[in-house]
Amino acid sequence: MRRAGAAVVLAGVLALAGCGAGIPADPDGTLSRAAGGELRVGYAVEPGLVDAPGEGDPSGPVVDVVREYAASIDADIAWTAASEESLVTDLEEGAIDVAIGGFTDQTPWSDRASVTRGFFPGAERSGPKSAILVPLGENALLTSIETHLDGEGLT
Amino acid sequence: MTTAKHQYGRTDLPAEQQTALRQPVRWELFTIGYTAVTILLVATVVGSSQSMKTAWIEDMLSLMPQLVFLIALPFVRRRPTTRHPYGWHRAMSVGHLVAGVALLAVGLNLAVEAAVGLIKAEHPTIGSVNLFGTTVWLGWLMVAVMVVVVIGPLFFYGPAKARIAPTLHNKVLYADGDMAKADWHTNAASIVGVLGVGVGLWWLDGAAALFISLGIVHDGFRNTKAALGDLMDQRALAYDSAEPHPAIDQVRGILRALPWVDDTGVRIRDMGQVLHVEAFVVPQARDAGVVQIREASEAIADTSWQMQDVVVTLCDEIPEEAVRPERA
Repeated sequence: MRRAGAAVVLAGVLALAGCGAGIPADPDGTLSRAAGGELRVGYAVEPGLVDAPGEGDPSGPVVDVVREYAASIDADIAWTAASEESLVTDLEEGAIDVAIGGFTDQTPWSDRASVTRGFFPGAERSGPKSAILVPLGENALLTSIETHLDGEGLT
Repeated sequence: MTTAKHQYGRTDLPAEQQTALRQPVRWELFTIGYTAVTILLVATVVGSSQSMKTAWIEDMLSLMPQLVFLIALPFVRRRPTTRHPYGWHRAMSVGHLVAGVALLAVGLNLAVEAAVGLIKAEHPTIGSVNLFGTTVWLGWLMVAVMVVVVIGPLFFYGPAKARIAPTLHNKVLYADGDMAKADWHTNAASIVGVLGVGVGLWWLDGAAALFISLGIVHDGFRNTKAALGDLMDQRALAYDSAEPHPAIDQVRGILRALPWVDDTGVRIRDMGQVLHVEAFVVPQARDAGVVQIREASEAIADTSWQMQDVVVTLCDEIPEEAVRPERA
């Protein structure tokens, strides 16, 4: 019976591995909605990483990383400016898909949002690593961003 | 078998049990090494999956019975002294109790944590890792680790310990082997939890964590109950705590067969590894004395290595709570 149980588990693993393309999936389908459509990005100003020059869209190294990622999934960006805490609340409420700002991979918000692995947005490869926040448990989006960061050699 | 000169609070084991005892010590040391590697390996992939965390803590808890066994063993072997006239056999039961309570407390804690996570609908985060330049979803590594580490308890040390325990009449060893054999439930559950998260069913992780922690609670409850029973001097039970110890029937049969005996009763309690036997005898002739008593206790001591602490006493009436032959 024990062997049979192990065999069932093994069969299940192999079956899932066969359709591995869909794993991990987002419980709320954020990535599949954003890809080819609109990626809603919230930003909090952090000098040197995320700058907001008066009118218009933000700029800076982290902003560039998000722009490149959005291009890679063929999505247009809708920008929202807010404080870090408001951004985290927006993520929880599903008002935005991604939050950027002065977040690092050691961010205390990790209880309320999923945090990407740390990366260096600019040429300088020292100091604290930046991170991007996505809604809690949206693992497809998280993994997709991390794959993009790895591909760009930023991690 | 030669006539045994029975000893009170005996500490030395016969050859078969001494050989049998060397095996579990080796198995326990092997298990501790194996589990330590498992704990380190799982630590590298545990992430924020509740089911992986629960399985990881269960791995740590599974070290308890092994440590208890190894710590209690030198105590059990101590000779009785005037201050400790019954020897140190209870050390194994005390360890059994400590391990049981620890399992119970941690298991309940983890069960509550999993339930709260489910109620609050906390979606577990399982991201990716960069493995030699390739981005790999961490869930696959979790599954791989859980499949690999189940080999030890399922096929090697679990069955081995459960096999040795009856020879030694050791409940800690039996509990340990029993838990190791059931360890694959944990690994299977955490794999289901992680793959559930993989396909977007976030609640499967918490459900798996709840399943695993309830398993820990069950183990803790069972072991605490068994250890408490022995410490409270309940009637001796077989190593798996399921049935009365066969020695009870044996002793009764021996006493019954003695020609000078009119009525008998017996009380047997479990000291951990050996039994403490008190036999009550109502003699037919009023002149029964030390010679008959000695013969009776030696006949009982002869039947098993476990029954070396035997007291036979003459009385005119069998105490009510002692096990009588008619209950056979």
